[in-house]
Amino acid sequence: MKPDINPEQCETCPMHNTANLMKLGLDMQGWDYVIALAGNPNTGKSTVFNALTGLRQHTGNWPGKTVSRAEGGFDYGDHRYKIVDLPGTYSLLATSLDEEIARDFILFGQPDVTVVVVDATRLERNLNLVLQVLEITDRVVVCLNLMDEAERHGLQVDERRLARDLGVPVVPTVARAKDGLNLLLQTISDVAAGKAVSKPKRFENESPELKQAIQILVEQLNQVYPGLPNARWVALRLLDGDERLIEAVHKGELGDLAPQPGGIPAISPDLKLETSA
Amino acid sequence: MPEPLFAILIAAALVLIGWLLFWPKTGIIYRWRKARQVTDRVLLEDALKHIQRCERHAETPTLQSIAGALDISLNQAAHIAEELQSAELIQIENGAFRLTPPGREYALRVIRAHRLWEEYLAEQTGFDEAEWHDQAEQYEHLLSPEEARNLARQLGNPAYDPHGDPIPSSSGEFQHHPGIPLSSMEPEKPLRIIHIEDEPEEIYAQLVAEGLSPGMNLRISEKTLQRIRFWIGEEEHVLAPIVAANISVVQLPEELVEKTPPGAPLATLKPGEKGRVVALSPRLRGADRRRMMDLGILPGTTIDVEMTSPSGDPTAYKIRGALIALRKDQAQLIQVDNKPEELPL
Amino acid sequence: MNPSPQVDSQEILATAQALRWEVGKDFHEKLMEALYTNAAEIADRAVTRPGEKPRFDLDRSIDRIVTSRRWGFLLMILLFTLVFWITISLANVPSRMISDLLIGTIYPALNALATRLGFPWWLHGILIDGIYLATAWVISVMLPPMAIFFPLFTLLEDFGYLPRVAFNLDNVFKKAGAHGKQSLSMMMGFGCNAAGMISTRIIDSPRERMIAMLTNNFALCNGRWPTQILIAAIFIGALMPAYLAGIVSALAVVGIAVLGVLLTFVVSWFLTRSVLKGEVSSFSLELPPYRPPRVMQTIYTSLIDRTIYVLWRAVVFAAPAGAVIWLVANITIGGQSLAEYIINFLNPLGILIGLNGVILLAYIIAIPANEIVVPTVLMLTVLVTGLTGAGAGAGVMFEADLESTKAILVAGGWTLLTAINLMLFSLVHNPCSTTLYTMYKETDSRKWTTVAALLPLGMGFAITFVVAQVWRLIFG
Repeated sequence: MKPDINPEQCETCPMHNTANLMKLGLDMQGWDYVIALAGNPNTGKSTVFNALTGLRQHTGNWPGKTVSRAEGGFDYGDHRYKIVDLPGTYSLLATSLDEEIARDFILFGQPDVTVVVVDATRLERNLNLVLQVLEITDRVVVCLNLMDEAERHGLQVDERRLARDLGVPVVPTVARAKDGLNLLLQTISDVAAGKAVSKPKRFENESPELKQAIQILVEQLNQVYPGLPNARWVALRLLDGDERLIEAVHKGELGDLAPQPGGIPAISPDLKLETSA
Repeated sequence: MPEPLFAILIAAALVLIGWLLFWPKTGIIYRWRKARQVTDRVLLEDALKHIQRCERHAETPTLQSIAGALDISLNQAAHIAEELQSAELIQIENGAFRLTPPGREYALRVIRAHRLWEEYLAEQTGFDEAEWHDQAEQYEHLLSPEEARNLARQLGNPAYDPHGDPIPSSSGEFQHHPGIPLSSMEPEKPLRIIHIEDEPEEIYAQLVAEGLSPGMNLRISEKTLQRIRFWIGEEEHVLAPIVAANISVVQLPEELVEKTPPGAPLATLKPGEKGRVVALSPRLRGADRRRMMDLGILPGTTIDVEMTSPSGDPTAYKIRGALIALRKDQAQLIQVDNKPEELPL
Repeated sequence: MNPSPQVDSQEILATAQALRWEVGKDFHEKLMEALYTNAAEIADRAVTRPGEKPRFDLDRSIDRIVTSRRWGFLLMILLFTLVFWITISLANVPSRMISDLLIGTIYPALNALATRLGFPWWLHGILIDGIYLATAWVISVMLPPMAIFFPLFTLLEDFGYLPRVAFNLDNVFKKAGAHGKQSLSMMMGFGCNAAGMISTRIIDSPRERMIAMLTNNFALCNGRWPTQILIAAIFIGALMPAYLAGIVSALAVVGIAVLGVLLTFVVSWFLTRSVLKGEVSSFSLELPPYRPPRVMQTIYTSLIDRTIYVLWRAVVFAAPAGAVIWLVANITIGGQSLAEYIINFLNPLGILIGLNGVILLAYIIAIPANEIVVPTVLMLTVLVTGLTGAGAGAGVMFEADLESTKAILVAGGWTLLTAINLMLFSLVHNPCSTTLYTMYKETDSRKWTTVAALLPLGMGFAITFVVAQVWRLIFG
């Protein structure tokens, strides 16, 4: 199935992968952008979700899974946004069903924006997840929630410093009191429309052998799937023996993730033929 | 009312019978169940494993060696060899056994289950190191390929088991570790342990007792026919060459050596002192290791020793603004650089 | 390994697999470590902690005293003695008041009301003598001490002192394979085992938490103290000259409590080396900064969270037990009550372990709450011995003063051995059903809940059996 991508590639056009979203049980009919909401458990993720969607939400299950899923929507500016609440997880290494679902959605659904809700009082532990999300996608907004509790604990979080270090927008909020939500919406719409430029931090700390191994794999990946947005991360996952990714390579699913030829003229059509082989 | 002495005797007899029946490992029920588990299939699988092992070590498997390894009679061994041959899992040429490709695949599947189970015990349960091998010997016959796959996934698809043995992939790919026995290395070279052989049991127990584990860096200081003396960090170990032969090592590139200064265990620091974490010992694994990392005990973290419990253990450390108590055996596994002049105040 | 221009997806996989062996065993570890380290670095740069420094210094001075070799243990003993003393001395008055109100005033009023409304005798019995009386009993014994003990305990917790206790005692618990925080759940167990079960949540290591739950029952709870005190006063104190009676019976009760603590350690030790060997164990103990306790909030939440919650559970279980107690005493088959049949059946076993059938039946039907064991024993004893002039009728639990209680029990065949074994059995038997239910809720495991019930029960039988036989050997 060919993904339904806007014929003329443009900066402000939606980036999400409609075909894969369909497989993940998400109908994008009537919506402009899709937002994924990720975060550790107990960070007030649901509060953020409720605050953004109000009553426009419904719950169901992930296709074929017993894990429940909430989705909802909101309008902002001239656009309609669909928002999906991912299971709360500490990492995206896919060692549990929840992690797998969250990871698959961000990887294969390619949401236009992934909002990661983090607990300002436990930044360290929460940033693990942010860094992992940043490896998969650069369309990220960090929602620095529970700022009031941080203050009560005598912590000062410098969100500008954090934004600079992470390379993506950071919005401090107190979701319970609806503080900072307007800025969050504005930021989401900027990132969705491609107005905010992200230069995400990719963690680096490898031994020479590892660097070489990654390089070899990335080169191969780039040849087979030109334009794959997260080749480095895929390489790392393959080295870690991630079965889901091995399967994705095996079936050629990764090919769906690269921008399609119509949009980027630099890629010759013959290379694409090999992908389907 | 029964005579008290009589009652006590009867009760004691009941306890004795219960003990004989139900006690783990030596109880009758345990033995009976164990005997039932040792079915033909188990023997066949063990024989395949044995032949695979011999091939790996460039030894020739024979009827005698099978009988010896499986602790069965020669007749039984012959019977098993026959069955293996008729199932086309092995070929017999001039009394020497060789695995056929399906036979090798089968053997690797069993080995995969064994090593996955050991990794599972090491990472996700509290079982003692000494018990891993025995348990895995049982479960290797019980895990279906599907179960092994799920287990591997749950463990994050490990490539190596806790002894440093590579775990064959589900498609049967397999590579031997490139290690060299410690006993054949020359002194003064920086080395890293990459594998510890878990058979025979007595030698393995000795290595476990020494606290050796794959991933540790060492340097041999003395090598004679009687003993090999080597240093891990600031700890000295002495082993007989025959024991040291069960440790496989690789040479460490010099640039890595300089990056890891020899640390002292955190447990050796006194209240009021501070140190910077250099490394977490490879022996810190599973839940304990994750807990340490969750607490922010990572290379580069500065730790202040605050106070020791009046009962002697645990000790409270100031770690990233929080006061955390750790027990001595945990602090022993955290290597810190304790040179105060290099630390910012 | 140079990539050729014609790589395909299968080749990528082959390359990846080959590289996996090359990058070595600690790849995953290194990756995680890099991730954590990176996150920590970024967080360190972004977060500042103003206003933390001075507080930490004050904390250190407090810690230096609280965990010092000289003062640490002394302070601990003093504080907990104080907590228990306040609880006991303050609980007496409201306990009597509630008892007077619920049993002395409302109970007769309800009786009169039921008679006037013309209830059939059995409905009257089940509702008022059974359900109401059992519930009232549990409330009056349980509520006041819990309403005082829990807030006090919570205040110490809120202040930040309790983790220091765990810190001080951890070494002792470590030797039994347990966690220092078990000292706290144990302490809570002296108030109520169900609350003790909940309080094991603070132990974040799975194996140690399970140990704490399985052994919490050995902390003599609020519902069992009165039993111990009563029996010790009647049978043990009475052996002594009057001026020693009080102190000796008190020592006997304390001895039982200490035995419970010892059993906690022995059983913990045994559990770590047998059934719990494979459970994950990972120690860490955070010592949070001290903060001024929020008194009002603490009182409110500990009343709601702990006291009312536990009380409600107990009442829910006690009410049907009241009905059952009344029914077994009043359903008669061929002129004998059901209770008598069961007691006769249980008697040989009871005698064998130095107790009797009445006690065993009382423990069976009073599973929901240890508070009603003694009243049930008294009622059943009167029922089977056919004593006249004592008690309030079949199925109606009652209490009496020391002398008449003793008279009833002696008439029921009680000896010093029965008393000692009852005290032992009261310490070592299955937890009450409220506790078991709480444990099931907390662990979601039938297996472990069953172990928690059967392990102490089996031990109780074994201990009383041995004591009975040895006693009979020595004293004939």
